[in-house]
Amino acid sequence: MLDSILVANRGEIACRVLRTARAMGLRTVAVYHHADRGAPHVSLADSALELHAEVPTAAYLDAAQIIAAAERSGAASVHPGYGFLAENGDFAAAVEAAGLVFIGPQPEVIRLMGDKVHARAFAAEAGVPLAPSALMEESFEAFLDAAAGIGLPLLIKAAAGGGGKGMSIVHDAADLEARARTAMSEAERYFADGRVYAERYVEQPRHIEVQVLGDGRGNVVHLFERECSVQRRFQKIVEEAPAATLPAELRARICEAAVKLATRANYRNAGTVEFILAPDGEFYFLEMNTRLQVEHPVTEMICGVDLVEAQLRLAGGEGLPWTQDAISVTGHAIECRVCCEDPARDFLPATGRARVLREPHGPGVRFDGGIREGQPITAAFDSMIGKLVCRGDDRTQAIDRAVAALGELTLLGVDHNIDYLARVIDHPAFRAGALHTGFVTEHADTLGAPVLDADARAAVVIAAALGVDDFRRLAYDIPEPYASIGGWRN
Amino acid sequence: MSTSFPFTLDGQTHSLTIRARRPALVVEVDGRCYTVSEDASGVPGESTLLIDGRPHRVARTRESDRVHVKLDRTTWSVAYEDPVTAAQHDAGGDDVLRADMPGVVVSLNAAPGAAVASGDVLLVIESMKMQINVVAHRDGTVENVHVEVNQSFDKGTELVSLHPST
Repeated sequence: MLDSILVANRGEIACRVLRTARAMGLRTVAVYHHADRGAPHVSLADSALELHAEVPTAAYLDAAQIIAAAERSGAASVHPGYGFLAENGDFAAAVEAAGLVFIGPQPEVIRLMGDKVHARAFAAEAGVPLAPSALMEESFEAFLDAAAGIGLPLLIKAAAGGGGKGMSIVHDAADLEARARTAMSEAERYFADGRVYAERYVEQPRHIEVQVLGDGRGNVVHLFERECSVQRRFQKIVEEAPAATLPAELRARICEAAVKLATRANYRNAGTVEFILAPDGEFYFLEMNTRLQVEHPVTEMICGVDLVEAQLRLAGGEGLPWTQDAISVTGHAIECRVCCEDPARDFLPATGRARVLREPHGPGVRFDGGIREGQPITAAFDSMIGKLVCRGDDRTQAIDRAVAALGELTLLGVDHNIDYLARVIDHPAFRAGALHTGFVTEHADTLGAPVLDADARAAVVIAAALGVDDFRRLAYDIPEPYASIGGWRN
Repeated sequence: MSTSFPFTLDGQTHSLTIRARRPALVVEVDGRCYTVSEDASGVPGESTLLIDGRPHRVARTRESDRVHVKLDRTTWSVAYEDPVTAAQHDAGGDDVLRADMPGVVVSLNAAPGAAVASGDVLLVIESMKMQINVVAHRDGTVENVHVEVNQSFDKGTELVSLHPST
């Protein structure tokens, strides 16, 4: 059993991991950049060490400083969260070389799955279905020929990629060369690795992924699937578990494929195998994420487990906490990613200050947040500031609860997608489970902000006017009492 | 008592005038009168607002010339310009395109002298790990491009200016 942990991350995931570690009685250590000194993860830990870097994100990417902080604080283990160094095999290796426990898979497994080309080859050997593809091996010209041979439409991706960077869909053969060159330059810029590959683009695909846990000795269990089909800019914004609709037989085959892949890799700790599901029921390996996923809470809510606790127990050498038979699904859960962005302007990231922040409450409602009221939202970090996760006895109840909770969730002072998320999950097509990764684009016309009638507009401007001193003074003779003015005074 | 306050919601400006304060507050919006009362909840920034007897849950915060409001289940940002700020803006115009956020210039699509239409992509920037198109907000002719490819800039930096509209 581990007795102490350093969480090498920030924001909601650092808070999430720290909470479970504390509940288990571990001594907890946070790290932070100066820009985050007032962030909640810093005060949640028993101790916190500052990382120094000019650019805030660089601090959380500085493996040497983080390992030094772990050694200085006496932490016995390191949890990487997601993003930053979570899928960096060299970091995992360096943590282990320092005599610390890396809470995640073996470094060589991280490297294998992090290279999309090698991961695909490995999946093929494991008997996991793959979409027809072309790799760039010898010349650019040979790659173009091979890619053209797959048939259109095509998806071009970075070999070292993730998160939609360096990704492009080609519908017209005439665009292939230009798109491939753009993808290569983006791949070079984001990942310092210009290799790309092309694969058949499945029209109206669904994104289905399987949560797995392994003990590193070839024993693997799955915790069923999640559906993450609702995306914008190739990034997920709404996830759910189980999938919206999935025949039992197909679900069993997808989960089995994930277990097969993880077993062959002697997978250790928590991981996720992602698949593309075509409308005809064929599914193809997409990639394996060798870490805890952003959307892990939906699995926790339907399986009644704490995945971080399982991670810590596995890392402490306890073996798999459950047999496959002991894992079952009850109910349905939906997660909405709360991002500071403007859905009306192509999801342009927004900056500002979280002047008012009120989290929702209620049965089956969980809010995994990572900012506190008053905190600035800068361009230095990812635009996601929290996740609303709701569980229901069935999908409809989970949606109803999430819609109500989004209505209650209040964030003022920075643009955000909270209202937009409510419109997405309350949309008839979402409620019907008619999902695919182009959902947001397909329904753009009906996902816009509602048009208000004159009385509704009047209510909004009256509510706003009462927040303006000049107006209040005339309305009430006196300025608003300090007790009800709120954060805007400070 | 007849001072009118302009509040702008999604580009449409509404004129608010206080018509009565007692026995109840009456606010006229674009010619229609509403009876208004508000009870602070005790939680800073939150209240219950009664408009013509209908209760609304309100949270709000003011930030310079905007009031951010959550009214019941939806979020709004309402612009309010006090007379002084409004006068300054009238002298300025909409010729300069500024950065909404810090970032780096990825590519430039417009050069001085180019005719552009509203919605044309003038440049591509990268910010918060995303590539973002910066588009012309009106038709016009580019007067000057103030940044170069790979240049970093802060929020508020002038990116492109258009010839003053005629």
